[in-house]
Amino acid sequence: IDESYPWWKAFSKPCNELGLKLKPEIFPAGTDSRYIRQAGYPALGFSPMNHTPILLHDHNEYLNEDVFLRGIHIYNKIISSLASVPAFDEEL
Amino acid sequence: TMSSSENPSTSLFREYLRIRTVHPDPDYGNQFLVRVAKDIGLESRKVKLSSGRDILVMTWQGTDPKLKSVILNSHIDVVPVYEDLWTHPPFAAHKDEAGNIYARGTQDMKCVTIQYLEALRQLKSDGSHFPRTIHLTLVPDEETGGHTGMELFVDYPEFKDLNPGITLDEGLASPTEEFSVFYGEKCPWWITVHCRGD
Repeated sequence: IDESYPWWKAFSKPCNELGLKLKPEIFPAGTDSRYIRQAGYPALGFSPMNHTPILLHDHNEYLNEDVFLRGIHIYNKIISSLASVPAFDEEL
Repeated sequence: TMSSSENPSTSLFREYLRIRTVHPDPDYGNQFLVRVAKDIGLESRKVKLSSGRDILVMTWQGTDPKLKSVILNSHIDVVPVYEDLWTHPPFAAHKDEAGNIYARGTQDMKCVTIQYLEALRQLKSDGSHFPRTIHLTLVPDEETGGHTGMELFVDYPEFKDLNPGITLDEGLASPTEEFSVFYGEKCPWWITVHCRGD
């Protein structure tokens, strides 16, 4: 990840301010993001669930309410930041 | 239930979890999502795909609409269940004393859909305005490969008309303190092996 890329900066800055430890990774399976990336648009895969066992597609899939509610706050800050990115050269 | 004292965002999440958008025959009626959008004050519309499926698009217009947009993508469908292996019914959204909510889709990815919506509700009620337009895209059939959903949609003029800048989509839970962020993914590569007899 290019730390100077405006979208990444706008994503990671509020996360840092909230004290979130981010771990950039390659997704181990396939999501709809691959079609968006293939069409030439950047996409980030992020679900704000830490301290949570990975139970997608599994029995007893669950999420703790406090983790869920904190996620709303996290998105509040991330969305605000992304939607406020000033026009930058590569996008025009 | 505890609904009288429950956080309304949690109640909304649990309501969505009870809608059986489960394969092989997901309930894509979408009345719930359209109702929530209206309640928040988001315009919503449907884009009909050649597959017969709909993409639901909700929009919060930015103050400088020529700038590229922020797309908050999520899929509506969930994978099937072996109900007898669950300690709580998978479409009841039971919440236990520890606050754990059990249901198919709690992690993948109805949580994210409601979190996007509730974050936008907060921002709207705070009187926030942003230069960039924000779109929510709610798509079908991700769990079966997206061939009747997102794979088609990206080639539609309605997708280009969103003027996409950055898209957020699902990640994965993380058992540690860290949050995973995915900037790429492995691609499926199907191999057909023909074994011919004599």
